[in-house]
Amino acid sequence: MNGYVFPFTLAFTALSVVGALLRPASDLVNLALLASVALVSLGRMSTAWRSGLLAVLALTLTLLLRLNPGDKLAFYGLLGVLIACFLLPNLSTLVRVALGAAILFISVPIAGLTNSFLFELGIQIGIFAALALGLNVVVGQAGLLDLGFAAFFAIGAYTWGIFGSPQAAQFIEGFPPGGLPGNYLYLFMALAIITAAITGVLIGLPALRLRGDYLAIVTLGLGEVVRVFANNLDKPLNITNGPQGITPVNRPEVGFLTQFLQAIGAEQVYGKPIDSYITYAFFFYLLVLLVIGVVILVNIRLANSRFGRAWVAIREDEIAAKAMGIPLLPTKLLAFATGAAFSGIMGAIFAAKQTFVSPESFTLQASINILAFVILGGMGSIGGAVVGAAAVTVLNIGLLKDFSDLLNTWRQTGVTILGYNMANLPPQLNPAKYERLVFGVILILMMIFRPEGLIPEQRHRVEMQEARQEAKEGGGK
Amino acid sequence: MSELALDVQGVTKRFGGLVAVNEVSLQVRPKEIFSVIGPNGAGKTTFFNLLTGIYRPDSGRVVFFGQDITGRSPDWVARNGIGRTFQNIRLFKAMTVLENVLVGHHTHTHQSYFDVLLHTPRFHASEKKARARAMELLAYMNLDRRAEELASALSYGEQRRLEIARALALEPRLLFLDEPAAGMNEQETEDLKTRVRRLRDELGLTIVLIEHDMAMVMSISDRIAVLEYGSKIAEGLPHEVRSDPRVIEAYLGKGAAGQAGGTHAPA
Ligand SMILES: Nc1ncnc2c1ncn2[C@@H]1O[C@H](COP(=O)(O)OP(=O)(O)O)[C@@H](O)[C@H]1O
Ligand SMILES: [Mg+2]
Repeated sequence: MNGYVFPFTLAFTALSVVGALLRPASDLVNLALLASVALVSLGRMSTAWRSGLLAVLALTLTLLLRLNPGDKLAFYGLLGVLIACFLLPNLSTLVRVALGAAILFISVPIAGLTNSFLFELGIQIGIFAALALGLNVVVGQAGLLDLGFAAFFAIGAYTWGIFGSPQAAQFIEGFPPGGLPGNYLYLFMALAIITAAITGVLIGLPALRLRGDYLAIVTLGLGEVVRVFANNLDKPLNITNGPQGITPVNRPEVGFLTQFLQAIGAEQVYGKPIDSYITYAFFFYLLVLLVIGVVILVNIRLANSRFGRAWVAIREDEIAAKAMGIPLLPTKLLAFATGAAFSGIMGAIFAAKQTFVSPESFTLQASINILAFVILGGMGSIGGAVVGAAAVTVLNIGLLKDFSDLLNTWRQTGVTILGYNMANLPPQLNPAKYERLVFGVILILMMIFRPEGLIPEQRHRVEMQEARQEAKEGGGK
Repeated sequence: MSELALDVQGVTKRFGGLVAVNEVSLQVRPKEIFSVIGPNGAGKTTFFNLLTGIYRPDSGRVVFFGQDITGRSPDWVARNGIGRTFQNIRLFKAMTVLENVLVGHHTHTHQSYFDVLLHTPRFHASEKKARARAMELLAYMNLDRRAEELASALSYGEQRRLEIARALALEPRLLFLDEPAAGMNEQETEDLKTRVRRLRDELGLTIVLIEHDMAMVMSISDRIAVLEYGSKIAEGLPHEVRSDPRVIEAYLGKGAAGQAGGTHAPA
């Protein structure tokens, strides 16, 4: 049985690649390519074959994206290859780096220039992944359930939003009326790390004296306090401009990037002269990529240090951790401040990217979403946080939206499926309306069938097994 | 005049109406192996918890090498020279054997937050040193070959030895062992005895242990204290304690004191 898997994968992949070259616009070909990505990633084969096939698939998918601007399926396939070379064991580092860099710096930009929505998708995934990585330190590694995590994102966003816009002049006399020039964003990214970390300590100091459910409720409350402040600090002194939010928030100058794009002949891919719209999309894509790279590096380094080990020790057994000389409150505060810093820096970038900050973006819903990325991906696992964020973002602003678009076109054109005229489909059946429901169902299914998450961390898997074992043996206890 | 390793002065701990530890005083000299015995529920573990900061005594004082440590937090106590193991093993089960010991070495792993972020030479040096020390301690407890395995994969006896290795990583001056031989077979217990002696002879540690295995207690201890219903009812050299009528009564029940002299008091 196993002997057939490899030839089958090979044949299937070859067929779908040939299909892609012959009929680049076919959805069927796209689906076949997606299936090939899965087969190549999960099937049994030598590392050399796997690396080679992944490269071929990446190339084919890039080609498809170049040919069809609207081809999101190919983009998802590319994401799949990216995740595979990020996570698969046994791939050589050279292959990982080369393939990953090629996809991130060549394929996605080509696709993004063809269809700028893909940049947007990449940016969103990056921002959410950074938030997930931040919360992963707090919940996943240190085991502190924080339900108000969006507050730190808000602090970062307002740190730049207030001073990089006309807002600051409202309450600081003599401040430049248009706010600080966009290039100050780089400085404010550093400041946002500091303000968010300080907020983390301020929230953590009272909250971290509590444990478990109590901690969760208090962080939820304090997170809301930050949002309510943002909502109401428009009087007596107008600091946040209240519910209307702050706009326009300045962006850095990107003339150099425009020139670069012109120099490499990106116009041909873009189809018209390079404008500021696409330059900014590309700019923020690169900026988010850079920051996420740093965040992942920091995350890995912390996990393999005395701090990471102390966090896991606290998560597993506070009393034993204390008996090992680990001071609980400072160590927990460090986890809180670290997680907060990650989301603070992304907050500042978010403000500049949107050119708009309002309390709307930082609701409890946002906090819960971030928590869902972490749980879905696998608590404590760095790869899990990134994959969780990618999966949920693709689902939310990609798949579900596509599906409802598809239903809409069917409805408008009156296609008949299984004898039912789609024109009669009630508008309530628009899947975008069920986004939360679908999301909830997926979470529930995950918790039933794979409670340790998509990419579980080794330690959590052990803890889960122990807990299950105890539940079985302990019964009433 | 040498100063005492541990000078406990009349500590008391109540849980509601129950007096778990009642006015217990005792003195442990440096490099002594001192045992605390007594029936189940006598308050031995609670007594350890009072000395290691898990509970705060309702009254009384604890002096450690001349320093009053009464009411200090457990982590402070651990950082200042007292290591301990737990009766109900409390390893970090999802971590490897080596990582468990590294956690014990936390305080002595000199790397700042920024050393970690920037991977400074200091980070690499401290990490290397911590690992070398951890491996050394694992070898000392004969666990070095299992370093990369998960702590939960170890047998009962091995887990108890790992708890000792982890406590040793604190580089303590005094070690509290709460029933270190519980669940061990005869051979493992024998092996443990030699290792505990070596800790004292080679590392110069002071050791206070709770143990039910009377053969082990009698052969290894310099002195023994006996608790019953939270009170100290006897203290002395092993042979003195063994023949003390009150001790025999506490172990065998009222009326048994007349048949004193049996070497094997039940656990
Ligand atoms: N946290 C606690 N709360 C209430 N009672 C306790 C607590 N810890 C121990 N006890 C009680 O104190 C007494 C002494 O317990 P312990 O110190 O564990 O005894 P030993 O270790 O000698 O077997 C027992 O009666 C036990 O039930
Ligand atoms: Mg006990």
